[in-house]
Amino acid sequence: MHSSIHSAVRAAKSRPKNLNLLTVRFPLSAVMSVGHRAAGILLFLALPYFLYLLQLSLSGESGFLQVKNDLNNIWLKLVLLVFIWALAHHFVAGIRYFLLDLDIGIERQTAQKSALLVMILGVLVTAIAAFFLF
Amino acid sequence: MSYQAKGLQAWLLQRLTGAFMALYILYVLGVVVFSENMNYQQWTGWLSHPLMNTATGLFFLTLAYHAWVGMRDIVIDYVPHDALRLLVLTLISLFLISSGLYMLKILFSLSLSV
Repeated sequence: MHSSIHSAVRAAKSRPKNLNLLTVRFPLSAVMSVGHRAAGILLFLALPYFLYLLQLSLSGESGFLQVKNDLNNIWLKLVLLVFIWALAHHFVAGIRYFLLDLDIGIERQTAQKSALLVMILGVLVTAIAAFFLF
Repeated sequence: MSYQAKGLQAWLLQRLTGAFMALYILYVLGVVVFSENMNYQQWTGWLSHPLMNTATGLFFLTLAYHAWVGMRDIVIDYVPHDALRLLVLTLISLFLISSGLYMLKILFSLSLSV
């Protein structure tokens, strides 16, 4: 009995506290999930820049025109596309998590299919945005 | 509130803030995309409307909270060592507090431009 407690304690202690990504296998839903997190980090980092654009656009007529002009720059449009993907992917993946929390699409095969759908929709929205931007 | 309940609260609020932001973003993008070539007066007039001003304030608040919970979850999962984790979490909170002040500045300029 004593030894079983000891082994239980040992098992609890050897549980991974931080995940080493190199040792984890990646099914489709995991790739999508990493995309959700990466997109979240991207949006987080870009927050000051987008707040700056908003502030500039509200600062006066000239600031407003400057933002409009800046957004016409081809390089900025390319950068913008990355964030459009990030927002679209994060958005759709979030809806999928919301549905999973409500036990909708929780079966393994359905969940893998919806993960693929999320990735396709993220790229599709980006492609549509690219079509209108360029 | 117990530690576990705080986790549950964060989990629930992460979804509620996400739902609100989703609606706000769809609305804003819809208006911007379908009202082609808004001018400066229309742009500030629209955003200064009391309802829109309130919604934007709520959006900033939910965004800051949502970003904090999300970034914290990622840091807890992948950043080893307590000291390093604390450092990264502190940097993230400073980043979000600065962004929050910037948001206040924007909201303040909006309420002045009515």
